[in-house]
Amino acid sequence: MNPLTHVNADERDLSEAEIEAIVADAMAAEASTARREAHPPSSAIVWWRAQMRARAEAARVVERPLTIVHALALAVSVGLFIGVVGTAVGGVKGTLTWFASLYASLTATSTSAAAIDLTSRWIMLPMTAMLVSVVIFSIAAFVIFADE
Amino acid sequence: MADVTFLDVRRLPADEAEAADVALAMDEDAFRGFYDRTSGALWGYLSRISGDRQVADDLLQESYYRLLKATVVFESENHRRNYLYRIATNLVRDTKRSPRPLFDAAVEVADVPARDTHGDTEARQDVRRALGKLKPRERAMLWLAYANGSSHAEIADVLGLKTGSIKLLLFRARRKMAAALRVDQ
Repeated sequence: MNPLTHVNADERDLSEAEIEAIVADAMAAEASTARREAHPPSSAIVWWRAQMRARAEAARVVERPLTIVHALALAVSVGLFIGVVGTAVGGVKGTLTWFASLYASLTATSTSAAAIDLTSRWIMLPMTAMLVSVVIFSIAAFVIFADE
Repeated sequence: MADVTFLDVRRLPADEAEAADVALAMDEDAFRGFYDRTSGALWGYLSRISGDRQVADDLLQESYYRLLKATVVFESENHRRNYLYRIATNLVRDTKRSPRPLFDAAVEVADVPARDTHGDTEARQDVRRALGKLKPRERAMLWLAYANGSSHAEIADVLGLKTGSIKLLLFRARRKMAAALRVDQ
């Protein structure tokens, strides 16, 4: 039955029950059409896609803390590098001063090379700083790029 | 996460399979049964509320996925179904697409099955045009009430409204629909 045949009369002349019947018929007819039109994907496909998506999301959740670890490792290594460079700069200045005084003493007093104190802090400090920075950089680089 | 090593990350795609199964709220058999019973009707709801079959296709899968990921404990199949419709309703509400080709007469003509009589075709076009004149919430309300046979409490639950307000809102929606059908005559 076509529900619209009931609507020819003025809406105000229809009782609420009649209006409800008209609308209910129209919606039922449309629902029947929709059921015929509906071609949802199979449940197996939807389940499989849900599985894949859940796995991908689970992987992202696990990777997120590692990204944070990467960022922290980078920040720490940069901080250490700056600290080491700062120390090394002071050492280099001292070294230059030491070399200047050494040159002055060599030219002035012809002191032998054996007299040079290799254990002086102006030698040891820059050497240690450079060594530490090389080790730290190697470790940081390994941590950051190991999984790539 | 402390027990996860960098080497574990490489193995994740294979190792996460079981974890993903656990993360979904239903087992496969239960899901497939539920899906087979509800997907056709849900597609109809989505297509008529959004007015767009493509949107309905997209949101159908999204609705079921969100249901699978939900942590809600369902008391019954009806409860689960109503929750699914609530998810679907919210997804339609959040959809930003504006075109509603389903309610356009030009598109509808091509959709009509050949066995339909001319009168049926016109009637369907009129019903769709009338639906197109309603607000999405009014369409949803009428669909739930008369296509799904939902109670006022269920409609309120799906649409996030108070049960007491449904009677009046349905009354208005019916009037509006009837008026739209009359104008289309």
